[in-house]
Amino acid sequence: MGPLAINELISENTNLFLAFIIGIGFGFILEQSGFSSSRKLAGVFYGYDTVVLKVFFTAAITAMLGLLFFSLFGWIDMDLVYVNPTYLTSAIVGGMIMGAGFIIGGYCPGTSFCGASIGKIDALVFIGGLFIGVFIFGIGYDLWDGMYMAKFLGSPKVSETLGLTDGVFAFLLIIVALGMFWVAEWAEKKFPRAEY
Amino acid sequence: MAKSKERKVRSYINPYLGGVLLGIVLLAANFVAGRGLGASGAIKSTVVTAMVTVSPSSAEKSGFLQEFRESHAGNPMKTWLVFEMMGVLVGGFLSGAFAGRLKLKVEHSPGITSRKRLLLALGGGVLFGFGSQLGRGCTSGSALSGMAVLSLGGFVTMMAIFGTAYAFAYFFRKNWI
Amino acid sequence: MKPRTLLALFVIPMGLIIAAVPQNTTKPYKLTAEELLSEVNTRTQYVTPDAVADMIVKKDPSLRLIDVRSQDEYEKYSLPGAINIPVTDLLSDQYTDILDQDVKMNIFYSNGTLTANEAWMITRQLGYNNNFVLEGGLNYWFDAIMNPQKPASTSSDEEFAKYDFRKSAGQALGGGGVVQSAQDQNTASAKPVVKSAPKKKKAAGGC
Repeated sequence: MGPLAINELISENTNLFLAFIIGIGFGFILEQSGFSSSRKLAGVFYGYDTVVLKVFFTAAITAMLGLLFFSLFGWIDMDLVYVNPTYLTSAIVGGMIMGAGFIIGGYCPGTSFCGASIGKIDALVFIGGLFIGVFIFGIGYDLWDGMYMAKFLGSPKVSETLGLTDGVFAFLLIIVALGMFWVAEWAEKKFPRAEY
Repeated sequence: MAKSKERKVRSYINPYLGGVLLGIVLLAANFVAGRGLGASGAIKSTVVTAMVTVSPSSAEKSGFLQEFRESHAGNPMKTWLVFEMMGVLVGGFLSGAFAGRLKLKVEHSPGITSRKRLLLALGGGVLFGFGSQLGRGCTSGSALSGMAVLSLGGFVTMMAIFGTAYAFAYFFRKNWI
Repeated sequence: MKPRTLLALFVIPMGLIIAAVPQNTTKPYKLTAEELLSEVNTRTQYVTPDAVADMIVKKDPSLRLIDVRSQDEYEKYSLPGAINIPVTDLLSDQYTDILDQDVKMNIFYSNGTLTANEAWMITRQLGYNNNFVLEGGLNYWFDAIMNPQKPASTSSDEEFAKYDFRKSAGQALGGGGVVQSAQDQNTASAKPVVKSAPKKKKAAGGC
């Protein structure tokens, strides 16, 4: 059955319309969870507010479980779902640059749009920075082309790499996530900050 | 939440509830379009459009554009992520209006000035924009969506993002605490 | 109850279930009977001998001929460059990389088309792409390419062009190219057109 757009059960334009609807859900939930506030986001790195960690990992395990069950019931063909390819070097270096950008700027791209939508000027400036960053990447593409394409591993699943089945890996990830949530709630008590 | 009601601002929802709902949205994206959520891709589309509009000749020579074209046919603005991000703006606005959080302001810790906060936001944005292209996606597109489909790259990117942010957190503590 | 406990009560049992059930129960058979029937009816799996001969002569690197007959028959005669995968060994692990790939165009052949079609059906059901069947098999190959028959003088120019191509291709491939008595030919298609199976596109990703 799924993915609907790839199995051509819905038209291209319907797909784009649903993208808009899904985006509304995405933005609404991000804002409702407090992702429009950079100080709340940055809190996860100092322990005073770990909402990012909780939302992020809860969302990841929910979606992961959903996909595994959908696949089990035959509702979605996982072979047609986009699995992010792994280019090891660029994943690590890009991730590190993003991590630095996160702690300096206080947002990530999705949350900055969310913050800007409710009038956060710092989020708007962050988006301006994003455009500049992407533009720099674009004009200097040939300079980091080699690094961008290095260590291509295909689109492996982390479960395959670890030699586990998807289900067992999912279960382990759930346990790890719940452990992190426990630590996070402990940290929130230990490093309290006033709400603002 | 008596305090929140006094200020006419609704409090945020429970993070676990938010996470489950966000997970359902991500699941819906995979079910409908066979792909996860994302954000920086929409910016890439816009930048590509701008480059082609402003300077078509030099843009055509760019490997960046060729790489983009390989994965996106047709008009770069008529892509899934662009529509999704327009939805994010609408959804965020609706939520802010609903909760009484619509307000033009620069959010910063008492320790720094607005001007410094904006400069840092700009610098962080540039780094994040660059890194999201190198890492083939940002926290939503690569880390979150990648983790949901158990992509090795998604996990690696997630660990690199959070690991680096934790490593640098101490040096930027004045900005946030 | 704490929200975290509530979440744990929900996700831990789900995780246990997904860890316990066998993986990919819905995967092995990717085509429904209707889809397969539709492919069979539209004859998408066939490649004409002319197209194959053309590719062999031009040394097209994407071509891979696979002889699905027994090893004995393969050793007696095989098409140039063909490899042997007897249909009885089709599911052997050592051939998976050859059969399930997106780069080359695999063309199965047997004496007729029956065995080649069996191999095609099995690989198609496994969800593999890029596998095709030589139309008419080796028997027809000999008639059409190795011993092309001169069309009747009343035939169209197209028929003559096809004859010329076959004659030269047959000679290049070591055939007789002997002119035999003119008989009416019963060829399937005039032009060497390579049909490729419709491929499902994957979602474009990238953030």
